[in-house]
Amino acid sequence: MGSKTWADLAREMKMFLWNPEERTCLGRTAKSWGLIFLFYFIFYTCLAGMFAFCLYVMLLTLSPYTPRYRDRVSPPGVMIRPYLNGFTIAFNVSQPGTWQPYVDSMHHFLAAYDDKVQEEKNIECISGRYFIQGGNESEEKKACQFKRSLLQNCSGIEDPTFGYSKGQPCILLKMNRKGNESNLRSVDFYPGNGTFDLMYYPYYGKLTHVNYTSPLVAMHFTDVKKNYMVPIQCSLNGKGIINNVNSDRFLGRIIFTLSIGK
Amino acid sequence: MVKEASEMGSTNSSSKAWHVVYKIIKIWNVMIIEAVPDVHHNTKTLFLLQKKSDVYSVEDLWDKRSRKTDIGDEEEKYKDLKGNKKKKAEDLKKEVELDDHKLSASELEEKYGTSVNKGLSSARAAEILARDGPNSLTPPKATPEIVKFLKQMVGGFSILLWIGAVFSWISFGIQLAQGAESPFDNLYLGVVLALVVILTGIFAYYQEAKSTNIMASFSKMIPQQALVIRDAEKKELPADQLVVGDIVEIKGGDRIPADIRLIFTQGCKVDNSSLTGESEPQSRSCDFTHENPLETRNIAFYSTTCVEGTATGIVINTGDRTVIGRIASLTSGVGNEKTPIAIEIEHFVYLVAGVAISIGVLFFIISVSMRYKILDSIIFLIGIIVANVPEGLLATVTVSLSLTAKRMAKKNCLVKNLEAVETLGSTSIICSDKTGTLTQNRMTVAHLWFDNQIYSADTSEDQTTQPFDQSSPSWTALSKIVTLCNRAEFRPGQENLPIMKRVVVGDASETALLKFAEVILGDVMSIRARNRKVAEIPFNSTNKFQLSIHETDDPNDKRFLLVMKGAPERILERCSTIMINGKEEPLDSEKAEAFQTAYMELGGLGERVLGFCHLYLPEDEFPDTYPFDTDSMNFPTSNLCFVGLLSMIDPPRSTVPDAVSKCRSAGIKVIMVTGDHPITAKAIAKSVGIISATSETVEDIAKRLNIPVEQVNRREATAAVVNGMELKDMSLQQLDEILCNHSEIVFARTSPQQKLIIVEGCQRQGAVVAVTGDGVNDSPALKKADIGIAMGIAGSDAAKNAADMVLLDDNFASIVTGVEEGRLIFDNLKKTIAYTLTKNIAELCPFLIYIIASIPMPIGTITILFIDLGTDIIPSVALAYEKAESDIMNRRPRNKRKDRLVNEQLAVYSYLQIGIMQSVGAFITYFTVYAEQGFLPSTLLGVRVDWENNAINDFEDSYGQQWTKYQRMYLQWTGYTAFFVSITIQQVADLIIRKTRRNSIFQQGLFRNKVIWVGIFSQIGIALILTYGLGHVTALNFTPLRFQYWFVAVPFAILIWVYDEVRKLFIRRYPGSWWDKNMYY
Repeated sequence: MGSKTWADLAREMKMFLWNPEERTCLGRTAKSWGLIFLFYFIFYTCLAGMFAFCLYVMLLTLSPYTPRYRDRVSPPGVMIRPYLNGFTIAFNVSQPGTWQPYVDSMHHFLAAYDDKVQEEKNIECISGRYFIQGGNESEEKKACQFKRSLLQNCSGIEDPTFGYSKGQPCILLKMNRKGNESNLRSVDFYPGNGTFDLMYYPYYGKLTHVNYTSPLVAMHFTDVKKNYMVPIQCSLNGKGIINNVNSDRFLGRIIFTLSIGK
Repeated sequence: MVKEASEMGSTNSSSKAWHVVYKIIKIWNVMIIEAVPDVHHNTKTLFLLQKKSDVYSVEDLWDKRSRKTDIGDEEEKYKDLKGNKKKKAEDLKKEVELDDHKLSASELEEKYGTSVNKGLSSARAAEILARDGPNSLTPPKATPEIVKFLKQMVGGFSILLWIGAVFSWISFGIQLAQGAESPFDNLYLGVVLALVVILTGIFAYYQEAKSTNIMASFSKMIPQQALVIRDAEKKELPADQLVVGDIVEIKGGDRIPADIRLIFTQGCKVDNSSLTGESEPQSRSCDFTHENPLETRNIAFYSTTCVEGTATGIVINTGDRTVIGRIASLTSGVGNEKTPIAIEIEHFVYLVAGVAISIGVLFFIISVSMRYKILDSIIFLIGIIVANVPEGLLATVTVSLSLTAKRMAKKNCLVKNLEAVETLGSTSIICSDKTGTLTQNRMTVAHLWFDNQIYSADTSEDQTTQPFDQSSPSWTALSKIVTLCNRAEFRPGQENLPIMKRVVVGDASETALLKFAEVILGDVMSIRARNRKVAEIPFNSTNKFQLSIHETDDPNDKRFLLVMKGAPERILERCSTIMINGKEEPLDSEKAEAFQTAYMELGGLGERVLGFCHLYLPEDEFPDTYPFDTDSMNFPTSNLCFVGLLSMIDPPRSTVPDAVSKCRSAGIKVIMVTGDHPITAKAIAKSVGIISATSETVEDIAKRLNIPVEQVNRREATAAVVNGMELKDMSLQQLDEILCNHSEIVFARTSPQQKLIIVEGCQRQGAVVAVTGDGVNDSPALKKADIGIAMGIAGSDAAKNAADMVLLDDNFASIVTGVEEGRLIFDNLKKTIAYTLTKNIAELCPFLIYIIASIPMPIGTITILFIDLGTDIIPSVALAYEKAESDIMNRRPRNKRKDRLVNEQLAVYSYLQIGIMQSVGAFITYFTVYAEQGFLPSTLLGVRVDWENNAINDFEDSYGQQWTKYQRMYLQWTGYTAFFVSITIQQVADLIIRKTRRNSIFQQGLFRNKVIWVGIFSQIGIALILTYGLGHVTALNFTPLRFQYWFVAVPFAILIWVYDEVRKLFIRRYPGSWWDKNMYY
């Protein structure tokens, strides 16, 4: 038993890859390979079929309108706009390039809230109570109007820069809020008293509630201390809202930072 | 050196690096030896350096001493060694140089500061003991514990996991530097991986240590005692307390407790077989008879046995400084061969590691080219490695092996090295000793011849009567001679023991005769007392007879009875008459012819034949007072009356023929290697079935056809009896030819050294060789063998140390049970590995699909570890308890090269079929969980980046619901749990199908192996605890799971079972078909 040289190994390897005598590649003949491939083709086709069938059956059991379980998504969370990629909104008033992306984000987001679009698609609802729509589950549901103009100074209609050019940025909240910080000297809320009107609820799901637009609350920070990192926490208050879970900082509340330079 | 180097080359390349290091060390040693021999006058230093080298030096020494070895072919083979070899032998020779045998008793007293009558003082003895250490052989230097421990830490898959851990830490470092949000996840993962390696390492180490301890406790079981004179008093001391200068007394039956220079002897004979392999006892006296201390009669060596007589001597060497100690320590330098199972496991580790690394690297490249960040790709790589490596498997294998080891220990096979458990199962050749292993190791009367007729005696181990016809008066006469002409005596105080178990003082033949007489006639001692002995001539090699003269117990018969026994032809020469049916008839040529025929027949059976004759001395010539003188022989010693023949043999153990035939049906070749005479060896071989009834040797054929041996076609002979003398003149090719061409081989008159050559010959045939042995000189062969089996009772310590296994009852049949267990564990390990590998795919697929389809991660790395080291452990051990599917002793031993533990079929079937099915089942559960929460499968594709983005807290699902990051994470953990539960449920099915490889589960019985059920319940129990008990510990990434999700994968579990039943059905139906070839693992 001598040690194998590299040449031997190479020859063996070559033989393994293609053995001209037995006409085998990787130790199998063409027929053998064919059978193997055929077998696995059938095997995996059957498995894929079974997978698809099981998924299909499972999906059949689901309602297209409401998810089976909603326990993990409630209570609701809170988000802000503009949103670029974090919860720090920082810009310098004197450099438009630093705030323009925020303004673009706002415009983009509010496009769906244009008064025209809302009037066309949605109906006016009675404020102050749930907009319950009975009838068949599959029936299309009406959505309530939430006109951009309701946001007044933060609608971007009069001031297309949402106050960013003046260092008085508007932040849109997608849920209820509560909160004040000492570094915030003045905040205006639009619409009105800074609440989400009940008429925008309940939500009947993507499929039937096609034109639904989430109600918004805009915060207009008209006097923020400049060149400071100002942390802001907004919490939702209401029945069924939880806003004090440690592990989820976006459950019923949101924390973001404003940093405005001159 | 060169031989070793070439051996190294043949080992697989992966371990080459280590070998190179080893080689360098070796070469370095040689260089030292060659460079400084003149400086090192201290031979001890040299000796120590040499110790590491090979085994041939042992052989060499003894060859030079007593045998004219042919160097010839052996020499050729080991030519390269020659230079070193000679030097070594000389070193050892120098060491052996003693002059104590030349000194007189008084000189010795002076030299050792002792007194023959008073011995040493206790104080002096204690001093010397403190200086020299205890009188015991240092066990072969074990690998330091820390090295063993570290080996466990880096062996097997550990390296891969370490790599995983290091990568985790690296990515932790990078993330920390980048200020990412949750870098500690990777730190923890790294710590967990490291912990896994360390814990499994500790576990494996502990198992190993435990099995070693069994052996250690065994060797301490029987502390040897020695009778020592100290402070002028005789004391019994443990033999390891002996020191140089002690005066010890030994008597027949004792083991010599140290190297002893004899100063007083009485009929002392020692059995040096453990030292030299010569089984003839050698007499010992106080005289200086030979220059060579090994040849001289006045030295008795440590570990040899005093067969008879008594002696007193001065201890001249103790412990490792004894001659045997030196040999033992030399032998311990022989490297052990890697066990077959170690090779298989290595192969398996390479396979799995290869798969892990190639998939890991492949997907690393894929993910990088898919523009994942390098850091992410590294994290994927860790996941892939962890998913691919069956972390718990090596520990499981260890446990399975130790379970088998325990089971074997119960059946009298004590396994020293866990891996040897399996080696026995793959054994294809057993080289067995004859004496003691195949035979009972005691002479027993087997045949009698009187009245012109051969009678057979019972030779079983526990005879209490003898069935042959005892009515003839000739038998009465013969029994009288047997009883009286015998010097052997029972040791007193054994009346309650069965006769066959009593200890006798006397040589083997006389013992046999004594016991034989005792069984038939009853109390032999009282018969002897009634027939008082008046004169006696003991047996000697010139006379070849033994004679004694007795008074008779018949009060009316005043004649003396002269009884004689000895070599039959010598006895017959002295006879003129022969007793037939109690009557004396003249011994004519016809009767002499009959005697010759019987003698030849019994001799042909390999039995030791003794002739018996007697003569009643006439009362008138030999009156009561006649002064018998044994020197002048003033009594007749010819014209006696021939009474009969008795033949003796060391009979085979009653269990051996059955065991040999089992070996035969199991495809194991049993080769007998004995120091005995070829005829005896052949007879025993025939009676136990090593040579079957129908097969013939070349000599047999020649005799039958009446042609010269040379003309016989050697191929026709299935059996061969090879004499040690012939073996000496054989080339390796000739030996190979014999081993190849004959299925039934007996090596007779071999020296223990030749055993090594035979073992190597067998190994050249590619066989896995088991060797049994008991003597010190067997130890090289025991080490060289793939599995060395030492005898627990007759074996010397050196043999036990060199062996991998100890037969507690010295019984060959125990080897066969060991083989059975070994084969079973091999099959069951296959099942365990197949079971374990399957779920690795179900753990791996999630990562691959996660990378390619960018879905939320289906299963976490920690979760995988909980499967590998949690739910799966007990079930995989449970498979070790599985019963054999068919008679495993009816198939051939596995082919080392072809029948791998983990073959292509096993890997492919587990990975690409069952594993994929499991993955599909688990993914169904995963998609169900997500869909029922609002994420339909279509929504999940490609979401990875947003899904994992901490800033996106309004992630929209299929229903327009918006999820915060934490809500998504929680759902992801629920997904992990669901995936985990599905794998567990399907592993239950996997466990059930792995119970058999060919038979239907219903043939095997679902409930026969209860441990499997323990496994199943433990598996589900652990899963329940993890899910519901620890579901709130977020660090573990488990969440409580809705009850129905436990059943989503059940259809797939059933599918797995049904599919496997179909597979097995086709395998049974169409053996040899494409299906059988590709689906049977």
